[in-house]
This record gives sequence, structure tokens and C-alpha cells, in this order.
Amino acid sequence: MSSSSKLEYLTYLGNVVLALIAGLALGAIIISWGGYDPVAAYRGLFETSLNLADPYYLAMTLSYATPMMLTALTFAISARAGVFNIGAEGQVFMGALGAIIIASMKLPDALYLPLALLMGILMGALWGFIAGLFKVLRGVNEVVVTIMLNWIAFWIVEYARIYVYYDPYRPEKTISMPRSGVLPVLMPGSELTASFIIALLVTILIYLIMWRTRLGYSMRVVGIGLKTARYAGINPWITMLNVFVLGGVVSGLAGVLEICGRPPTYAITTGASNLAGLGFSGISVSLLGLNHPIFIIPAAIIIGALNAGSRGMQIRAGVPLEMVKAVQGLIVIALAVPGFTYMWRKWRIRRALRGETSA
Amino acid sequence: MNTGDDSNIVLLKNIVKIYPDGTLALRGVDLELRKGEIHGLLGENGAGKTTLMKILSGLIKPTRGEIYIKGKRISLRNPAHALSLGIGMVHQHLSLVPVFTVYENIVLGLKGAKPSKVEIEKLMNTTGLKVPLDSVTENLSLGVRQRAEILKMLVRNVDVLILDEPTTNLSPIETRELFKSLRNLKEQGKTIVLITHKIREVLEVTDRVTVLRKGRVVGSVETTKTNSRELAKLMVGREVIFEIEKSPRLPGEVAVEVEDLHVIGDTGVSAVRGVSFSVKYGEIFGIGGVEGNGQIELAEAIAGIRRILKGRIILGGRDITHASTKERYSMGLSYIPEDRRTGLAMDMSVAENSVLTRITYDKNLVNKAGFLRFNEILKYAGKLVKDFEIVVSALSSPARTLSGGNQQKLVVGRELSREPSVILAVQPTRGLDVGATEYIRKLLVKMRDEGKAVILISSDLDEAMSLSDRMAIMYEGRFTGIVDPRKVTEEEVGLMMGGYTIEEIKHGMSD
Repeated sequence: MSSSSKLEYLTYLGNVVLALIAGLALGAIIISWGGYDPVAAYRGLFETSLNLADPYYLAMTLSYATPMMLTALTFAISARAGVFNIGAEGQVFMGALGAIIIASMKLPDALYLPLALLMGILMGALWGFIAGLFKVLRGVNEVVVTIMLNWIAFWIVEYARIYVYYDPYRPEKTISMPRSGVLPVLMPGSELTASFIIALLVTILIYLIMWRTRLGYSMRVVGIGLKTARYAGINPWITMLNVFVLGGVVSGLAGVLEICGRPPTYAITTGASNLAGLGFSGISVSLLGLNHPIFIIPAAIIIGALNAGSRGMQIRAGVPLEMVKAVQGLIVIALAVPGFTYMWRKWRIRRALRGETSA
Repeated sequence: MNTGDDSNIVLLKNIVKIYPDGTLALRGVDLELRKGEIHGLLGENGAGKTTLMKILSGLIKPTRGEIYIKGKRISLRNPAHALSLGIGMVHQHLSLVPVFTVYENIVLGLKGAKPSKVEIEKLMNTTGLKVPLDSVTENLSLGVRQRAEILKMLVRNVDVLILDEPTTNLSPIETRELFKSLRNLKEQGKTIVLITHKIREVLEVTDRVTVLRKGRVVGSVETTKTNSRELAKLMVGREVIFEIEKSPRLPGEVAVEVEDLHVIGDTGVSAVRGVSFSVKYGEIFGIGGVEGNGQIELAEAIAGIRRILKGRIILGGRDITHASTKERYSMGLSYIPEDRRTGLAMDMSVAENSVLTRITYDKNLVNKAGFLRFNEILKYAGKLVKDFEIVVSALSSPARTLSGGNQQKLVVGRELSREPSVILAVQPTRGLDVGATEYIRKLLVKMRDEGKAVILISSDLDEAMSLSDRMAIMYEGRFTGIVDPRKVTEEEVGLMMGGYTIEEIKHGMSD
């Protein structure tokens, strides 16, 4: 890392801290406007998330961070390749559905987990692949396609939950993953399972793919410019398809992990409520982490802490859930601002570089 | 203060322009524009034509010099100011909003009452500039868009209309139509400046012509009192200095053969229209000509980046017409692109950029596990930096942190180091200082002496003539001739650049 980029990152870190303070301040205004005590609310938030004295809350924070780490990777990979893929949401749904399909089968115990992983990842990848095909073959804007595919996936999952894979004893959710197919809980009593370890490893793997393989190299060149990619002999369209598929793989995995690694239900619940929003949160996480796999890890933990602490805010300060959500959203948006402007500036500089003419 | 008589509408005196990077674009230029004339501004690339007109249209400020408009000395603040004084310029790269209709574009930014469509239609009839007012601009051809740009200026009541290389993207018919309209405008009392490098156009449509060369006026005459030969000589007018020492060539077998190549450009107009040539090992084949005559498209077709409409390319005995860029590179083609920003992934490191054109095919770059051999790449980049004297702060610094000259050395060094048999070099010394230019030119000669085939595309005539063993001049997508640069006169080269074929020149021409 050169000194100039080190300085750049330090400046960025400073901006994030400023943004966090701004977000907290704005949230405090809303909380007091609603007649509650902002100090108590924030104490509740942090004592039930980043409380070093109580590992339970830390574990909960990490468990919330897990799926967002992966969905953030989907966005980060695509952003590095110059594509705005926001299809992680739908790919999570498809991944989870894949796991449930396997859960519904009669299989030897040892096969549930590997097959669920395989099926979920394949279905996530397929969902990414379809988006990629539209982009590459027909030039359809990826934002439009992925948003539509997100909704299609949502309704497929809802249909499957209600009519196909419903739990006969608790019809508000699907059948659960059999015990033999679930991941071990890392801290008893918490929701932290081995899926956190898997997500960490995958994040590092994606980092290696992006920075240490020919595939990642090609993706980054495509992100810098189609002209340069074509000059280098890289096929930009095949590379973009790879971007979508790889993105689908990690978000599909996120979906599987929400089934096999999320106690206590190990299932899809009403309205896919345990899955909805994970893909979109990933975008904020990725922006906060400058679309860099390694920085995504702390970014996911920060956003995970906000999620984990929402209950504490509710219970300890009496702030109603709706307001908690509003405050959280405000903080997340504030946090994403520096990352977004950073990316925006980079893209603008790149365009300016390309458009520059010597008179 | 009043200078000149009533007939001169614009007077530029001793205009000097030095760009912030030190480039001396104009070295004291005088220009007089008379009311109701079509004035040709002729010159090669970099002669200063566009710079001069950008100064007159308020886009850039002169370093020194005086501007008189309708007899009054003016210091132009910006294009709007120039426009308010009746001076408007249509740039080479059109500036219409693609998603607006033509009408919306024409009235965009007008203050006060906007002219109605009926009024604009009346204007269209009197000038012959016909455009569909309700069509969305992006669906229209460049010729139509250009007419819209001109109308946009006319609606703003300009007296002086400046057109920068207006025929570059026009078909011959569109060009004729445009000239007809320009004559109409002249009759209505408008003054028109036509920036061009095409001698034929100057002779066809202008009343007077000023020739610029390297930032100076080298001649200003009435068009009827000159001819193509004189203009060509004025435009090129220099002694070509063979400053590069070159041993006599010992060409070997044919390395590249191009047969009747046709290629479509970005704008949908055919950019290369039937080009044939062959290059031998141990030979530098130069392709000269004014920029924008299809050279870039030709290079991209040879590299496999642009689709070939018709014709064949043979590399080392193999038909590569439909081969991918990757295959061509792996067969020994090296390509130095016209633009460093294409040749480098600017946000990636120097080390990563050192293998940019090998990444797709070179198996040695990857280990068994599928990871890039980063140590090897770093070692290779280190050698490149040392061999080609590239100044970098670190191999891990992004390429964009290098100076322009060092970026170019990185591209050239990379392309010459991957053991090519054929080198395709497009404007390899553009924008470089004297030292780096010299260095790269010598390298190209060295490659030739080592028995490699070099295709050198350069709009720098000195460069093309001093380096090439044989040279073609490209004009509107065709070669106007393939000549021995030592046996051709500057006048002949100038005429070829201006659109006359070598046969026409040799067998006498009719102006």
C-alpha cells in the first residue's frame, strides 16, 4: 500500500467517525422529539451490542454481521467491476429456498449440510447469472433487472413457504433444517454459529480472488474501463457474467447460512422476514467498507451492532420499534455517505480522465 | 480605438497562447475575418487552428494578444460573452443533449422569448439546414446533429460562425449539402470560419484561406489566387530531418498482410474503406495522415478490438481476421495504443500493469493453485522499470501516479518486452518530451533491426517520415498512396494528406 492511499484511507476513517457522530446526533433529535431519553436509548443500544463485558451481546452482533458480510461482497465484487448489482436480496431468498428444498428431502444425515450448501449456492448463482445475461446480451441496466429479480425471488419463496414447504405444525414458517444439517452454535444461548467463521473465510477468499487471481484481475480491469479491458484482450462480457455469478454464489451462501446457521427456527419465516433486507443492508456495508472485502468485515460488525442493539434500545429505553428502526436507518445512511462519495468521486475522476482531451 | 475598415468584423493581433504545461500553441498569430466571407483555416494537427478559434469564441484566454470585434477591442470572458458579441463555434465533438428533441436543444439556455418552431422552420428554409425538430437527438445521424448545432448558433444571431472540422463524420453528400448551406449563409451576410485540413474543401468553398503551421501564420491568401500544390507546401512546408540513424533495411518475409479491409467507426460511418498493405519482418511501415482519417479504427481492427466488416488480415501466415485479441497477442502481436489511458489500468499498480496484455494468455503468470505468481510479476515489473528507465515511487503505486512520459514508457516497455514479432505502435510519442520521444523512436528502430515488423501509425509527419522504410498516407479511410519517404517531396506528402492520391499527383491534377 503506497503512502498516498494510506493517507486516503485515514482521511476516510476520519470521515466515517464524523458521519457516525452526525448520524447519532440526528437520531438523538428524533428520539427526544418523540419524548424519549436519547442518552438512555444509545446506552441501551451499545450495551446490548458492542458490550465487551458481556460476550452474549458481542456474539449477537457477530451473528447479525454474518449474512451482511456476504451480501456486501456481492455488491463489492460488482462495484469493483464497474457494475451496480443490487440483486443480493433475491439471491439470498433463492439460496435459502435451496436449503429448504434439501431440508424437505429424506436423506442420510451427513448429506443435508453439503447438499443444502450446494443447492443454495447454485440457486443463488443462477439468479445472478440471469441478471448477468440480461446485462450482457441485451444491455439492460443491471439495477432494473436485479430489482425485478429480487421481487420475483421474494414471491417464489413466499409461494413455496405457503403452499409447498410449510411446516404442518407451525404453518407460519417452512419446515426446518433437520438437526443433522445445522451448523454448530459457537456460543451456547446465542445465535452465533459456525456460519460466522464460514463468512469470514469466504470474505478472505473473495479478497484473494479479486487481488490474486486472473479472474479478479480481469474483473478489476473491466471496472476501470471497457476500453482498457478490450485492449488487454479481456472479454468484458464474459467477465461481467462471472461477476454476477460470483455475486450470486456468495449471496446464495448467505441464504443457506440463514437456514443452516440461524437458531432457533432454521427455517424461512412469515413474509421471509428473517431474510428480507439482508441484501440491501449489504449495500450499505459494502459502501461503508469502500467495496473492499477486508474492510467489509469491520463494516459488517458496525452495522450488525446497530441491528443487535435495537432490542436493547427498545427494552431499556422504551423507545418504540418504529422509532428504533428510523434512528437506525438514519445512522446507516449517514455511515454510507462517506463511502458513497468516495466511490462517486473515483468514478467521476475516471470519467474525467477518459474524457480529458489535449487541446 | 478603431482598427481596419468596416469590412473586417474580427481582427486578431499577435495572439500568443502558452498552455499551463508549457506547450507553445500559438506564437503570435494575426488573423482578419471580413464580413460575409467563408474563411478557411488550414493546417496539420497541432498547428493551432482549434486553439485560435477557441480563443475567439471565448473558451480559452490568450496569453498575449489583442482581439477586435467590429472595431472594438474586447477581452472575452467566456463563450456566452463571445456569443453575445455574435461569435459562435460548433465544436468537433458536438454538445447536444442526447435525450432532448432537436427543438429543445436549439432553444436550450435561451433567455427571454424562445423562437417558435415556425420561426425555426423558416430559418431552416432560408439556410437549407433541414432538421426534424421533434425527433430525439440521439436517434439522429451526426450530419443532422451538426445542422442542429449550426441552427442553435443561428438562432442566437451569430455574425461569425466557426466550424471545427465539420466534415469529419459526414458522408460526401452531407458535405455537399453543408457547403451549400454555408454559401447561403454567406449570402445573408454571415462570416464563416472553416477549420480544416482538407485542401479540396478549402478550394471548394472558401473565399480566403489562412494557413497555420506550428502556431504561426505561414500564409493568408485569396482562394482563387492559390492552388492545391501551394497550399500543400505551405501546410507541410518543412524539411524533414532524418535525425534517427538507421542502417539500410534487410527485410525478411511477409509478417502482416492486410487485404481490402473495411471497418465501421464508432459513429456508424465506415472508417476504413478498403485498405491493403503488407509489412515484412525487419521493416517499419509507417501510416501517416491527419488524425481522424481511420487510422485508429485500422489499428483496432488489426488488434482484434474492432470488428472487421470485410477483408482479411494475415499474421505470420495465419488468417487472424476473426481471431480474438488474446489469440493475436499470444501469436506475437504487440500493440501500443494511441491513448495511455487505454493502455494502462490507471487505478491498478505499476506491477499489475506490467502484465496487462499478457494476463489473458501467459500461463507462466499463474501457479498450480490458480493464483497469480506475484513475486514473478514484481520481479518482471522491476526489470521493466530498470530497463526502460521508468521513474516510479513504488511498484505498488497506481499507474495514474506516474507522469505522462513514464506512463508511456511503461506501455512501450511492456509491449516491446513480451517478445513480439509484430509491433503495432499508434502515436507512440504523443505528448512526450524530446528525450522520451527520442528514446522511444530509437527503440522502434532497434526492434526493426532485430527483425521485427513494425507498423507505425503517427500523425507526426516528421516521425512517420524519418522512421519508416515505407510509408502510406491515410485519408478518409483509404490510402492515398504508399511511398518511399526518402523519395517523396513535402509537397507530394501534403497533397496526399489533403486527399489527392499519388497517381493523381504524378499524372497531373485538375484543381
